[in-house]
Amino acid sequence: MRYIPNTEEQKKEMLKEIGVSSFDDLIKEGVPQSIRLKGNLNIPEAISETELEEKIYNIAQKNSNFYLMKPLIGAGAYRHYIPEAEKFLLQREEFWTCYTPYQPELSQGTLQSIFEYQSYISRLIKMDAVIPSIYDGASATAEAALMSLRLTHKNKIIVSNLLHPHYRETVKTYLAPHEPEIIELPYKNGLVDIEKLKILIEEDVASVIIQNPNFFGGIEKLAEISEIVHSKGALLIMVIAESISLGILKAPGDIGADIVTGNAQSFGMDLNYGGPYNAYLATKKEYIRQLPGRIIGETTDVDGKRVFVMTLRAREQDIRREKATSNICTNHNLNVIAADIFLSLIGTEGLYQISLLNTKSAHYLENLLLKSKKFEKIFNYPFYNEFLLKSKEDISTINKKLLENNFIPPLKICEFYKEENLKNVLLFAVTEVLSRDNLNKVAKILSE
Amino acid sequence: MKLIFEKSVKGRDGYSLPQDLFDDIKIEECLPEYAISKDKKILSEVSEVDVVRHFTKLSKLNYGLDDGFYPLGSCTMKYNPKINEKLASLNNFTYAHPLAPEETVQGSLEIIYDLNKLLCEITGMDEYTMAPAAGAHGELTGNLIMRKYFVDRGDKRHKMLIPDSAHGTNPASAAMADFQVVEVKSNERGTVDLTELAKLMDEDTVGLMLTNPNTVGLYDEGIKDIEKIVHHKGGLLYYDGANLNASLGIIRPGDAGFDVVHLNLHKTFSTPHGGGGPGAGVIGVKKDLIPYLPTPIVAFDSTNKKYYLLDVGSKSIGMVRAFWANFPVLVKTYVWILSMGPDGLYNASETSIINANYVLAKLKKYYKPAYDRYCGHECTVTGKEYKKYGVKTLDISKRLMDYGMHPPTIYFPHFEPYAEETIMVEPPESESKEMLDKFIEIMIKISNEAKTNPELLTTAPHNTPIRRTNDLVAAKRPILTYDDELKLKDELKYQDKNIDF
Ligand SMILES: Cc1ncc(COP(=O)(O)O)c(C=O)c1O
Repeated sequence: MRYIPNTEEQKKEMLKEIGVSSFDDLIKEGVPQSIRLKGNLNIPEAISETELEEKIYNIAQKNSNFYLMKPLIGAGAYRHYIPEAEKFLLQREEFWTCYTPYQPELSQGTLQSIFEYQSYISRLIKMDAVIPSIYDGASATAEAALMSLRLTHKNKIIVSNLLHPHYRETVKTYLAPHEPEIIELPYKNGLVDIEKLKILIEEDVASVIIQNPNFFGGIEKLAEISEIVHSKGALLIMVIAESISLGILKAPGDIGADIVTGNAQSFGMDLNYGGPYNAYLATKKEYIRQLPGRIIGETTDVDGKRVFVMTLRAREQDIRREKATSNICTNHNLNVIAADIFLSLIGTEGLYQISLLNTKSAHYLENLLLKSKKFEKIFNYPFYNEFLLKSKEDISTINKKLLENNFIPPLKICEFYKEENLKNVLLFAVTEVLSRDNLNKVAKILSE
Repeated sequence: MKLIFEKSVKGRDGYSLPQDLFDDIKIEECLPEYAISKDKKILSEVSEVDVVRHFTKLSKLNYGLDDGFYPLGSCTMKYNPKINEKLASLNNFTYAHPLAPEETVQGSLEIIYDLNKLLCEITGMDEYTMAPAAGAHGELTGNLIMRKYFVDRGDKRHKMLIPDSAHGTNPASAAMADFQVVEVKSNERGTVDLTELAKLMDEDTVGLMLTNPNTVGLYDEGIKDIEKIVHHKGGLLYYDGANLNASLGIIRPGDAGFDVVHLNLHKTFSTPHGGGGPGAGVIGVKKDLIPYLPTPIVAFDSTNKKYYLLDVGSKSIGMVRAFWANFPVLVKTYVWILSMGPDGLYNASETSIINANYVLAKLKKYYKPAYDRYCGHECTVTGKEYKKYGVKTLDISKRLMDYGMHPPTIYFPHFEPYAEETIMVEPPESESKEMLDKFIEIMIKISNEAKTNPELLTTAPHNTPIRRTNDLVAAKRPILTYDDELKLKDELKYQDKNIDF
């Protein structure tokens, strides 16, 4: 076997050195004969690398040719252009094959890159401390909710109904054992219902979770929300599902967020049918000790050099065991490096421009579709790069047409929201991978 | 080395934007004023060349598995086959949107479905969820499944038994499921003490989380009795599969009576560790627990010959993440299993067990084993004896770096009186006898140095890109961003002659 260097001869020699006559002899004490597997595992015999390649290529052919299919869907996963330099650099084995940087002397590459990423995110969202890697936006939001329970010693949270449905589900799953009261904050006209929030907010609320832009793409009135939330001493958890939006939108830290979680997939990560992505979780200095997960800090080595290490470790599972702030251990560090490279490449101007472009092209498409008279607005709300439109034609027919023309169709919002007025409504997303020609073509297909 | 921010030059860029920026549309007409940031967010301004050099240089400060020996215990740092990477990065997979119509992702779904079947056979379980992103995520999922299972039965169990040798994620995960953690002491053989277990296991107890072989590298030979004790009181048995590399084709957790199993695909199944992830911590369960799995799972409609995402139903614990899985990790796992076959898998475990016992046999004269008995795929020795020379396990591990090797796991497991100053060596099947001999030779050399020149160890490493770090300062005065550093500029006086690039 090409991945196993030792020959049968060598193994025999080693068994002899160990002082046993056979492998069976070596394990008979630990694995009593009575529970050993009789016979072989019933799985296919090994195949060669060429056969393997052919087999997987053939399976991949059963997927659509996604490279050529431009998505009109986002809903928490966005296709953006990923510079080749990032993909190339990421493949360096020094980043790929090592593990958690427990030994800083041998891991400055990973450590410094994560530190840079923390610095980028901190500037984008204006928060003091950034946990660079929780698995994804949903689990990070759940961790943030748990953190808010610990910080406030209260057991009630209010969750925007326009938080990504998977995130909402995940929050419920993670919180279930603690039996908190979870109140869904309804929406009104495409944004959270602020009047309702005023009624729901009470002294016993630990936190309020708001996504911005929300699941419908809508831009929430955060300053107003923040004031209401804080008036009763609750914490504001802000969730970002599309991080590119930070290029143009106000920083959460500037509008009163106490904890911020963000899906960083748009920072240079492939769609990959849903993962691995990455999420950051950030907060203010005063709440640092309750953060879940790993964080990198700067210090010196014995020679006085600036170096980077894992720090504030006294919160973590390997030290605190059941008293840890979270169980997270392996996270998504490689995705963090990807995002650091991505943000370095696109830089200040690139992020701003892409964010601007995504907003503009989404509005361009909305405009075209409205002009076609085949669609109508159901809500009148400001949006970033995703928007809802009600179709006059059956949306399944529309989506089929789009698919035939190599577009991944928009989300049928009824898959997640059962309201009567959301029947036959589509959630469109637009990013820079859709050119004006593409958008014109979409409009043309849909007006025929 | 300089940070990317210190290489920034105003006006430089490293990205090409589309030509058409939709300038005909005014941003003020799209977004309300309250939403737009007044100032541009400052990242950095560097060219593509700068970025490529920066990260290439950074990478060279790392030590990876392809660089050499990496015997990190409990982490299974085995070779990551290159074909896996290629096949996981086919465009049809990587560009697939998670909410694309099912008919467009039949290939991806087929892989998930098939892999589920293979993992069931390898571990003797009935069904897997691919959702968990890492081992700890799987542990949480598993704990939530067990919790819901008992809640549905009106059974108010609230304690979870966990051996003192268990990984920190085990108690942390149980605590997240709001279970009270009860520690089970190891016996003088390093395994679960059956009398103690029998005493602790009662009808308020959910069950036992067990790693087998455990983190000392020892199989629980009493597994049959353990199973009886736990099941007899109506409890469930949880298997932490981080150490499955000692079991492939030898013993299946399902056959041994485990009800819930998590596998670390980034360990046993050869997928790379990425500097700390991403991995996958898939969970397998027995029949009775299938209704509790996170939703959805992939199913096959045999009439229409189509794969689809199936809602698990009302008993499901719900979702534990957005979307479905860390998909490329699954592809790599699938490819690896197919390239190994049943004989290859057995060979992997057999070889890794022989490797670990060989290292143990050769080292035990110099480093006292935590327990003097044969081990599984990893062995735990201690550096206790060198304390009298003023040398700690930490120093031994740092000295190893000078000889071009990555240190083993140190100070874990930790429990008294056996497992102190531990050095846990896991030499997986991809390490040759020659490599092990080299490691053994170096370890012996270091043991001599400890006696004759302890300072060489206490000041090690000497030839690494940086030297020992001041971790206390890092925690006491956290500098967590470049802006934090800028605020302290006058206080910090770095001595780095190499800071130019
Ligand atoms: C025995 C054991 N259990 C659980 C884990 C947790 O797995 P992960 O790091 O993937 O969350 C690890 C490794 O980190 C481990 O060694």
